[in-house]
Amino acid sequence: MSLQQLKIPKRKDVINEFKARGGKIAAVLPIHYPRALFRAFSILPIELWGPPKIDNSFSGSHLQAYVCSIVHNALSFLKIGGLDEVDFILVPHTCDSLQGLGSLLVDFVTTTKKVLTLYLPRDKGEPGYEFLGHEILRIYTILSQITGLHPDDALLFDAIHIEEQADKALAELYFKRKKLGLGNMDFYRLIRTREFLPAEHFIKLSQSVLSVSAAKSFNGLPVVLSGIIPEPMELLDELSRMGISVAADDLACCGRRLYQPGVSMNPFRRLSENLFSAAPDPTRGDSLESRIQYLKSLVYKSKAKGVIFYDVKFCEPELFDLPDLKKALKGQGIPSLTLEVDINDPISSQMLTRIETFLEVIR
Amino acid sequence: MSIFSHIKYFMNVKLGARSYIMFNRWRNARRPLRWNTKYLAPPLKVDKITKELIALHYLDGHYVDGRKSVAWVTSGAPVEILQALGYYVIYPENHAAICGVKRKVVEIAGEAENAGYSLDICSYARTDIGAMLSGKSAVGTLPKPDLLLACTNICQTVLHWYRILSYHFNVPLIIIDTPFIYTEYSDADIEYVKNQIEDSIPVAENVCRRSLSFKKLQNVVKMSKDASELWLQIIQRGTHIPAPISAFDQFIQMAPIVEMRGKAATVNFYAALLREVDERIKNGVGAVVNERKRLLWDNLPIWHRLRYFAEYFGTMGISVVASTYTNAWGELAPLMDKDRPVESMAKTYIYPVLNRSAGSKLGTIKRMAEEFHINGVVLHSDRSCKPYSIGQIDQRNRLIHDDRMPALLLEADHNDTRSFSEEQTASRLDAFVEMLGI
Ligand code: SF4
Ligand code: SF4
Repeated sequence: MSLQQLKIPKRKDVINEFKARGGKIAAVLPIHYPRALFRAFSILPIELWGPPKIDNSFSGSHLQAYVCSIVHNALSFLKIGGLDEVDFILVPHTCDSLQGLGSLLVDFVTTTKKVLTLYLPRDKGEPGYEFLGHEILRIYTILSQITGLHPDDALLFDAIHIEEQADKALAELYFKRKKLGLGNMDFYRLIRTREFLPAEHFIKLSQSVLSVSAAKSFNGLPVVLSGIIPEPMELLDELSRMGISVAADDLACCGRRLYQPGVSMNPFRRLSENLFSAAPDPTRGDSLESRIQYLKSLVYKSKAKGVIFYDVKFCEPELFDLPDLKKALKGQGIPSLTLEVDINDPISSQMLTRIETFLEVIR
Repeated sequence: MSIFSHIKYFMNVKLGARSYIMFNRWRNARRPLRWNTKYLAPPLKVDKITKELIALHYLDGHYVDGRKSVAWVTSGAPVEILQALGYYVIYPENHAAICGVKRKVVEIAGEAENAGYSLDICSYARTDIGAMLSGKSAVGTLPKPDLLLACTNICQTVLHWYRILSYHFNVPLIIIDTPFIYTEYSDADIEYVKNQIEDSIPVAENVCRRSLSFKKLQNVVKMSKDASELWLQIIQRGTHIPAPISAFDQFIQMAPIVEMRGKAATVNFYAALLREVDERIKNGVGAVVNERKRLLWDNLPIWHRLRYFAEYFGTMGISVVASTYTNAWGELAPLMDKDRPVESMAKTYIYPVLNRSAGSKLGTIKRMAEEFHINGVVLHSDRSCKPYSIGQIDQRNRLIHDDRMPALLLEADHNDTRSFSEEQTASRLDAFVEMLGI
């Protein structure tokens, strides 16, 4: 099956349709945030991972060259009018660079959009849970003031339940990925619709994919992809062309956001539990040991032959962990390859050569 | 403490070091001064005490094994609890800065780079990780930690860095996470930090097998506050014309306030420094002999070029009289309260300039510019330090356009000499000095 048959809507159309029904739009920067909270206010979160391949020279008048391309692009995109149709911008405190961007948007960059920030606690104990609950409540209060809406617990839980179902659908797609018969590009195009589709649409789309049994499965040499984001996405086609199948991923925009449902009956606590539940992530302060164990388990479960670390240049959260992750994998006889990209650059022939050499090693 | 380690410590630190210091003083007194006194005031008399304090601190660390538990700590961490528990405390950032001053960074950080750590991560972290992997250092060997304490009030970099240390040394890591202040902090923010500090106490007690005495903690907090208040007064003496102390002096003299907060010796040291600075004021001595213009420095110093900048500006009659960086250690002083140590620590440690918005930092720069009668601002855009540097382009533009204040954005790295071009810097400085009307 190809995704063409499934008709994935375009972001722009999703935004227009949602707005036409009286909803508002929030542009959300990486990585973790409480989707359901926004939906309870009839606000659709649309994620902003860059976007790649835009003229990013506009951000140079605010940001130094040693800041990652995701942050540069987000600011350029805002300045060239890419966010004109959104009502809010949410900047989660993911790293020093996004902290800087949040601060610039609040203090220096002129925008008509309401800028919200979210501090994600790095404490893993009770203080962290409690604090995140407060942060979410703080955003609830701001959204209430702006929209005049005050969704009660029942409404909040409606939104929470539907997002939890969407998370479950996402997990199922991952679980059954081999049987779906999708190539690398199609699988990730499908998965990444979670970045902009309303949860109910995503669930429907997932169900229609899951209900069709594949004529033949995509059989390439399995690898695990780790990093922030598979951009430019042509990489995925190139991997397919070389006969590599991405069998599992530890990508911040994808596999690191397979959230579990919470248990609390307090909606704010429940959302905190949800955000804390996903795979180990350095930006949330998870230990290196937990990342190593997680990566190894991904390799074993997916029977991958190696790991490709596909990192964004200047991304400290990823760069710090790399040497020990690679060493630990090597200790288990798992080869790995590191590639660093600027999300604006096309896939270089040098990069392709490196992947081909890696392929020789793992074959 | 074992008797053997006690004797070893006594022989080497108490007896050996004292004799070495006496010998060093005698030797240094006979060395020709490597200081351009035609343009700059002679070095501060306390300079040698600073060096001795630091040398003794690291020497102490060589013989700490079996005597005290060792903690490695970030510069802005609530260290008072560890001091009150009797830990020997190492600040990897300070150690890295010493390596920077002694131009050892390329060699030591190179060890980390060879092990796969990217050149794009903070050079303090690379220096420290290089030291950890190779044992290389500018101060002999560093004692291994029993505990790590990282506070995110300066950056998230320390979170990533200390996770690596924790993994390699296999010791517990306490993280005190401080929400970033975009506008104002809330009660929930303070409560969160306070709860974490409280939770850290049993962990720290468990490692050193001692119980925290509330009285001791109060005493340490009081001494931290006293030292910070003295430091604040010293910095504020820079408002005098001519300024008796330069930012370059402050960069050197700030080591004890970072490294030895909460100790009586630190309070005494700053009291002595304040007396010396006041004596300079009384005698009309300026840090720069012929002070014509006054600058403010933003961001970390460029450790490997302190003398270069001091002399360049000095020869032009320019005194760099203040810095947002050294100010950060003083402005928190009023927030400390020995009667409510934990809560006041939460309020203190959430509030450093690096944990506040870019707009708030611009406010600090503007306030200081007025207070210190500043003619221009040098914003060191530090490749290694994103949290300090992002926002500087706008800060510079606002200073130039709103306040008609000459402002220079200077690209470099606080520790890595490879990101510094002397030629390029010189031509940018020349152009800037022209703007100042010199
Ligand atoms: S790529 Fe890395 S540095 Fe850039 S925004 Fe994402 S986490 Fe931050
Ligand atoms: S220099 Fe900057 S990034 Fe590096 S440890 Fe210090 S505050 Fe963090």
